[in-house]
Amino acid sequence: MDAFGMGICAAAGALAFVAGASEDIDSDIGSQSNPNSQVQLAAQVGNPHRIYNKAIAGEPPSNALWCAVACLMAYVLIEGYHMPLLFAAVAGASLAALFDGVMSISAYLGRSASQARFNQWIYLDIIRYTTPSIMAHVWITSFCITLIAIIQVYVLTPHHPFPIPVIGLIWGITVGAIGSSVGDIHYGGEREFQWRLFGQGLNTMLSGQIVRKAEAGLRNSIDNAWFCAKFGGPCTGLGFGLTVFLDNWRTTVFDPVTQATYAIAMGCFFVLAMNLYNLYMEISARKKYGPYPGYKGDIAA
Amino acid sequence: MSLVFDTNMLIYMLEIIVGGLLVSVGVHFVPVGGAPAAMAQATGIGTGTVTLAAGSGLTGLLSAGLMMSVTDNIWPILATGAVGSMIMMDATMLTGDFIYSYAVGCPYASAKVNYDPITMFPQPPYVAPGTVGQGIPTVCFVSGTIGALLGGVGGAMIYYPCLQIGGNPAQAAIFAIGIFFVQAVIPSWNIQGTIEGFHDPKFKKWPLAFKASLVAGILLAIMTVLIQPLGVV
Amino acid sequence: MDQLKGFKLEPKQLRMYGIIGSVVGIYLTVGLNAMTGTKVFSFIGCIAALFAVLWGANSIRRICSYGLGTGVPAMGMLCTGMACVAAVFGLNIAGRFGFDWGGPIITLVYAMVFGYVVGTLCNKVMKFNIPIMEEGLMDGSGACTMAVLAWSVSLSGSLSYNEIIATVYNTGFLAVIFILGGMALFHPFNANLGPDEKQDRTLIDGMMVGGLAMFGLGICSIVTIGFAPAMLTIVVGFALWYYFFVWYFRLAKRDAAAVVGTGLLPPSAL
Repeated sequence: MDAFGMGICAAAGALAFVAGASEDIDSDIGSQSNPNSQVQLAAQVGNPHRIYNKAIAGEPPSNALWCAVACLMAYVLIEGYHMPLLFAAVAGASLAALFDGVMSISAYLGRSASQARFNQWIYLDIIRYTTPSIMAHVWITSFCITLIAIIQVYVLTPHHPFPIPVIGLIWGITVGAIGSSVGDIHYGGEREFQWRLFGQGLNTMLSGQIVRKAEAGLRNSIDNAWFCAKFGGPCTGLGFGLTVFLDNWRTTVFDPVTQATYAIAMGCFFVLAMNLYNLYMEISARKKYGPYPGYKGDIAA
Repeated sequence: MSLVFDTNMLIYMLEIIVGGLLVSVGVHFVPVGGAPAAMAQATGIGTGTVTLAAGSGLTGLLSAGLMMSVTDNIWPILATGAVGSMIMMDATMLTGDFIYSYAVGCPYASAKVNYDPITMFPQPPYVAPGTVGQGIPTVCFVSGTIGALLGGVGGAMIYYPCLQIGGNPAQAAIFAIGIFFVQAVIPSWNIQGTIEGFHDPKFKKWPLAFKASLVAGILLAIMTVLIQPLGVV
Repeated sequence: MDQLKGFKLEPKQLRMYGIIGSVVGIYLTVGLNAMTGTKVFSFIGCIAALFAVLWGANSIRRICSYGLGTGVPAMGMLCTGMACVAAVFGLNIAGRFGFDWGGPIITLVYAMVFGYVVGTLCNKVMKFNIPIMEEGLMDGSGACTMAVLAWSVSLSGSLSYNEIIATVYNTGFLAVIFILGGMALFHPFNANLGPDEKQDRTLIDGMMVGGLAMFGLGICSIVTIGFAPAMLTIVVGFALWYYFFVWYFRLAKRDAAAVVGTGLLPPSAL
């Protein structure tokens, strides 16, 4: 273990935090992934809306695409033209953002056009002002992940044997999986339905009754970023940051050649700690919130 | 040159098939609630089965790939793959539960069992009306950890022979990713997208996916071991 | 704009287009490159992939309209996952017998057999009971494999196994092909999902993503086949993307309830 390796490892963790947070906000602006089902349903139950509908094949594959494309550009610049690493990452992220813009627009047009019978209109101004915001967040995500891939392959020792597009693909799938399983709950469970009872999930009867009006006028998708950036985004960042940091930390502190056992034992310790922490949270949530008042069954709480 | 078949290739094939089966069984353990879980309408992680399994298994593959660049011993490689995958899955479930308890404000409960098999906590009083459970209770958390363990070991076990055959990490990684996806999609079709873990009645369907994955694994393994490096022409 | 003509293609027709277009395209790429001794004709490989995309996007559209419970992407991931291995399998076997030209055919046949077997497993073992599962998966995996192979050929400019491994696998560009190819196949149906989904709009969306993929892979090929041939791929890819994007936009305009610059909700919903 050396101070340089440790610093780089911490930097990778910090980058991962930012990547996770911006990934979640990007998907919330576009209503991608799981909450998309409610946005889709809303028009069908008679609630046409002015919310972006960016259905790009689920978050993990789409983020894998942005990150792989960013890494492709970086790889071409680094290996073909010996450009500085940071510049390569910037150029890659810009290309990824352009790809994202095209896919987002096509998804919004397609999904809205396929709901013609429910009177869901296509609003061109939504495309004009929401798409750049999505692209900006994708830029941040893919920039951070490209940098993580570059750090793993070119800076950290031992160098990772995979080429950077493959690493970008894998981290892209991972960040998408975390974003859709963590951050989406904040958007889907809290932001989309703000007039249900607090302290429980969405009652099935309310499916599709999403909030369409804002404090003034109609709700637009950028408002959702304002809300989700406060908790959903940082939580996603925490999840992805923990994954990247803990995973790199144990191979940086313990040499993988001579101290492999310690590195593995350390990982098992983290896993055990997280299991116990979840148990603690479960107990404390049950104690503080208590059972639901309407329960009529015969199993004692 | 011609096609040669020897014992080594048989072992590689076996490793790819067993790795695929581990992934296939591991997917059944991962508590996935699909889109309803993201609205706190169902128990489990709110995402798709395939991609969550892939996210954790491929994170394990990254760790295993790093380990395999410095050693040839299969045990630390498998263990590292498993640990990397478990860390990813646990971090996801833990931060997901942050949102369930601190933003949505609900206790975790499963609607498929009356008592949590591990902690013995009663579940139905804590299931919100109009939903089928929410959050990730202990039994689902442990089940997810086991699923990630199997997925990570499986991914590393597919990667190991691929690298041994070609001696080329980039190619082996891509093959492993490809085989991993095939073996993750088949079981997720079997459970039709959602499952709560090993206590879920759907879990009993795993032999079906096992059989399907076995056949698909054999077909993939034949392809993979037959791809031998060619001399520079 | 209302007179914009759509089209309707049968699955059998599309299968013929897909197989013939992609196989002929691959051979044309390699043949012209070998004849002229350059890599200038590599861009034809990407165009060959567009035929395969057309074929595959339609098969995914057919299967996924039954609803599999896992969303549209899963099936695309299965097909592309298998394609990553199958694409070089044929080349390797053919290369070992010193018969490079047979590679794409072996690949295609094996991929379609694999798809058929998995489809049968789904119906017989896992009890899906979707009548077109075997046929659809066979089409999907065949199309995916041909698309991956065609893109790989356009990146390396040749059909030799060693060259494809060196230029496409070792550089990691196959990861890009993997996800872009998957995207071109499953994004169209996913993006157009809904009760008023139309075949022509979905397929044109697929072509649009195919053009985008061609643009991206053109950038990849700067380091594999040199700057000038790569620029050709980029320019042709951009032109194709633009053409199909405009077409797609017009189709969306045709199908939508209304396209407005801005405005409140429709009067019925306020």
